[in-house]
Amino acid sequence: MSAVTLRKVFKRFGPVEVVHGIDLSINAREFVVLVGPSGCGKSTTLRMVAGLEEVSDGTIEIGGRVVNEVAPKDRDVAMVFQNYALYPHLNVAENIAFGLRLRRIKKDIITASVNDVAATLGLSELLHRRPADLSGGQRQRVAMGRAIVRQPQVFLFDEPLSNLDAKLRTQMRAEIKRLHRRLDATSIYVTHDQVEAMTLADRIVVMSDGNIEQIGTPMELFLNPINTFVAGFLGSPPMNQLEATVSYADGGPIAKVGSDIAIPLPELRQLRNAEGHPIIVGIRPEDTAVERNGAANAAGIKCDLDLVEPLGSEALVHVSVADHPVVLKTETRGAISHLSDVQEFFVQPDHIKVFDQKTGLALDHPEVA
Amino acid sequence: MGSFNLYSRGDRIFGVANAFLVTLIVISTLYPFIYIIAVSFSAGSAVTSGQVTIHPVDLTIAAYKRVLSEKLFWTSYRNTFIYTIFGTIATLLIIIPGAYALSRPQLLGRRFWNFFIAFTLWFHAGMIPFFLNMRDLGLLDSYFGIIIGFAGNAFSIIILRNFFESVPRSYEEAARMDGANDFQVLWKVYIPLSKAAIATVTLFAIVSRWNGFFWAMVLLRSEEKIPLQVYLRKTIVALVADEEFASSLLEEVYSFETVSAAIMVVSIIPVLLVYPFIQKYFNKGILLGGVKE
Repeated sequence: MSAVTLRKVFKRFGPVEVVHGIDLSINAREFVVLVGPSGCGKSTTLRMVAGLEEVSDGTIEIGGRVVNEVAPKDRDVAMVFQNYALYPHLNVAENIAFGLRLRRIKKDIITASVNDVAATLGLSELLHRRPADLSGGQRQRVAMGRAIVRQPQVFLFDEPLSNLDAKLRTQMRAEIKRLHRRLDATSIYVTHDQVEAMTLADRIVVMSDGNIEQIGTPMELFLNPINTFVAGFLGSPPMNQLEATVSYADGGPIAKVGSDIAIPLPELRQLRNAEGHPIIVGIRPEDTAVERNGAANAAGIKCDLDLVEPLGSEALVHVSVADHPVVLKTETRGAISHLSDVQEFFVQPDHIKVFDQKTGLALDHPEVA
Repeated sequence: MGSFNLYSRGDRIFGVANAFLVTLIVISTLYPFIYIIAVSFSAGSAVTSGQVTIHPVDLTIAAYKRVLSEKLFWTSYRNTFIYTIFGTIATLLIIIPGAYALSRPQLLGRRFWNFFIAFTLWFHAGMIPFFLNMRDLGLLDSYFGIIIGFAGNAFSIIILRNFFESVPRSYEEAARMDGANDFQVLWKVYIPLSKAAIATVTLFAIVSRWNGFFWAMVLLRSEEKIPLQVYLRKTIVALVADEEFASSLLEEVYSFETVSAAIMVVSIIPVLLVYPFIQKYFNKGILLGGVKE
């Protein structure tokens, strides 16, 4: 298994630059997810690693070898495509064997490998079917089989689950994770779905507009987003962000939202002597409570109820704080009637994130401070 | 609930008019064919006197006997097969790789080359320059000249190029990742996926080769190289001046109409036999299921 390293990689299509010199090093056996909104350059980056797009500037190394000028077939990488790209004129076994046949591997070895992979993926019964006769999940498995059978150094996944329905997606997600644990191969996975990113990744790379915003483990990114973009991208529903200014009350920093709402802030070095500084207050929906529940230091924040969305075990409560929309997430414990008269919610100051309004950067992030 | 009609009055009139027009077209293409068959099996006198309309009159196979007994008929028949088979192969060898190359975005100067090909659809040098060109290349009166001289076909290239362009790029990319080179991508992925389009242009090639007349007449001198269509013309011209034929007219067994009709019928048979085999590829269903859009 090989490490993959990108050094100052640029991609330009004519005059348009879509990837602006990114640096990324992926360890051998690591599962890295590139995540970001559409058009952020994540797929282009993956395709450059695959060799399907030329690198405009910078270098890409796979296993210590610079591969900028190496053809895709000689990079020892395999890719699973979003639309599967199964050859419709070949049956499942032939689809999986295609790459091995091109490499002129002996017939009995091919047959053995194909059977092996088919057994791993639960395709043994389907080997003689054509892609047209398979369900979406089965096609997806064949596409993975085609990648696995070659035992490549690096697996590349280009939004492999986005064509499946929600239920199947959850199922295949778990299967990909199990598969990775078993094959222990370096994997780069592109998705715009933050749930896939959170659940699959050893490390997540959040991208936007052709830049890397932040790299880290899912929990690092979730707990310590470096800026408002990452904060708003990961988590479902995303972090609430309220524009405010720094002020002080009772010896501690507070955020003034609108004319009469005050939210106590954590005691950060950066918040000393910052009266009037414009900030963004970040509050995760999960960190809020509609009752004080004995948390003595939790601050009560006045709000107007907008609507309640029950999800079963949980409910999303949409409220507004000084005309800013805020979403609260709360457990229902089987009842939602008490949510219809919410006028205040509670949050621990330690759970609040503070971002600079101008730069969008987190005030207390080690990389920023 | 009252009766509910899915179609408006205008829709129904449109449907009837369509059916009428289609029937008209079918009759106008089918009738000459039926007429030629009827004539070929009729007595010469019956044809000359205009009695044959839809079925043979005074049924006879004299015309066929006369046609099939000619040595030159069999020679020209063989030649037509040679021109058709090798000509079609030559055409496919040129247009498939050509169309594939033109369909690839990475082709350098792609717009220029595409324009270059399309240009010849509307403008070409004309007959005399073409003839002189063939003469200077030493391709007059040769099998090779006929086969290679008409192998390229801009129209077929464009049809095939458009089809190749409609095949999702991810097939090419998947094959590349699997280790295929350009030629293998074309041969193992694009050609099998494009059977329908290739069948279409193959049929075009076969039919135009089989019916090829004008240039064969202009470029070929020796009798033993002429194709069926040129032989047909030769026969018609010759029959008029043929004394033996003139006397046969007195016997009213066959006329030059019935002989020409017999040649036409015999010459159509191979194309009719080939068509059903090619027709089965005329389904686009082959592309379904491989990718999900």
